[in-house]
Amino acid sequence: MGNGSKLKVEICLGTTCFILGASELQDLAQYLEPELLDRVDIIGRTCLGFCKDRKFDGAPFVRLDESIVIERATVARVTEKIKAMLKEKDAE
Amino acid sequence: MTSEKTPTYELPSPEETFVEIECCSRTKTGETACGDDFRSVRIADEGRHIAVLSDGLGSGIKASLLSNMTTTMALEFVRRNMEIVQSAEIIMDTLPVCEYRKISYATFTVFDLLPGGLTRVVEMDNPPFIHLRNGHDLKWPADILFSERWPDRKLAISKFRMVQGDRLIAFSDGVTQAGLGSDACKFGWRREGALAYIQKLVDADPLISARELSERVVAEACTKNPQHRCIDDISCLVIYLRKPRRLRLLTGPPFNQEDDRDFAETVLNFDGHTIICGGTTANLVARELGRSISTDLKLIKYCGGLPPPSKLPGVDLVTEGILTLTECVRRLESGEYRDAPLPVSNIITFLLESDVIEFIVGTKVNEAHQDPRLPVDLEIRRNIIKKMSGILEDKYRKKVMIQYF
Repeated sequence: MGNGSKLKVEICLGTTCFILGASELQDLAQYLEPELLDRVDIIGRTCLGFCKDRKFDGAPFVRLDESIVIERATVARVTEKIKAMLKEKDAE
Repeated sequence: MTSEKTPTYELPSPEETFVEIECCSRTKTGETACGDDFRSVRIADEGRHIAVLSDGLGSGIKASLLSNMTTTMALEFVRRNMEIVQSAEIIMDTLPVCEYRKISYATFTVFDLLPGGLTRVVEMDNPPFIHLRNGHDLKWPADILFSERWPDRKLAISKFRMVQGDRLIAFSDGVTQAGLGSDACKFGWRREGALAYIQKLVDADPLISARELSERVVAEACTKNPQHRCIDDISCLVIYLRKPRRLRLLTGPPFNQEDDRDFAETVLNFDGHTIICGGTTANLVARELGRSISTDLKLIKYCGGLPPPSKLPGVDLVTEGILTLTECVRRLESGEYRDAPLPVSNIITFLLESDVIEFIVGTKVNEAHQDPRLPVDLEIRRNIIKKMSGILEDKYRKKVMIQYF
């Protein structure tokens, strides 16, 4: 993998997510502080399928470390969550 | 419900020849209308293709009117197999007389391609056409016919047989007279100059499409002129008899999930290019074929507000679905696709470089698209494809079929 220690940030670029905000999220790298940016691996994804799952509240979706799904994601919410997860990782 | 899987008509067998007809025109600098006109028709039930290029006297609206009337009439008369001298007389009688020059005039070249390669060319005063086979300019004897009523006009009629790989090229005098009076070509580029350039292009790329060849000839003609301006309307018509280039475009997941495998396998062992438009569709194909998709976020800046294209091994292009296809339709309809966002221009390039286009459309409705927060003009996939195939057939002379899953 090479990026084993980095936090994986997957941005859904499916039609629904894209219209509802992923078009901004795809520029996430521009908004992150350099020290955060170094610790994440941002990846664009074709539809992750969460929009078809009633369990979730709404697009756009971002997935962190293949487990945490952020609903109605915004740059601010994703950044906040990344910070929290990195803090947890550091504490481990 | 059973899915409708029968193609709307039989696809041509791989040995069959596709007749690609393309014309590139540039308007004289400073004019609003092009004085050259091109028109073509494919008569499916007769297996016949007719293409006409006309250059109207002068330039601008007046010339445009003359050439438009000429191509319209010529196309119709030839299609109805009318006697050619009589047809030319009707055209000349009908064209309005120029108030300054006191003549009515537009040149024309008609290419009439019948099944089996039999070809008839009717020319009136355009630069002589080129019949290119294996890089050679074939010369055919022409019958010269005169009109009794218009003794100064003569028609040249040649008949010959074309084979796969042949090209027919006609141009307006904007090509042959490009650069006229300049030091490099005192008498213009001339037919010889254009022919040598065409031979060089075909030698470098023996499968160059009619579209690209016509565009390159016109672009080169412009470079002969001072400041690369168009000192006249410049047009080049190319007909290329070739093995059909095929494209298969998949979009939308199948209505029944049990058809996913069959649907995904349509990208395998296909003699042509394949495109997938739709993230869910791409995921489905990747899953069924055990391959993985990658998306390069660095491409975003070229995507003009659309999701970036992705890669899937074995597929030539993967893009988002509805938004990208909607933009493709808009661009194809207006003809302004040169500065289109990356995924759109990628799709359009594939579409235009293909002769036979097969749409494989999954009809499952994406429930997420019914979210009331989404704009109402988020089109239904089937409608977009129906519209796109109509434009490709009518405006871009493609053979199109739609298969629903």
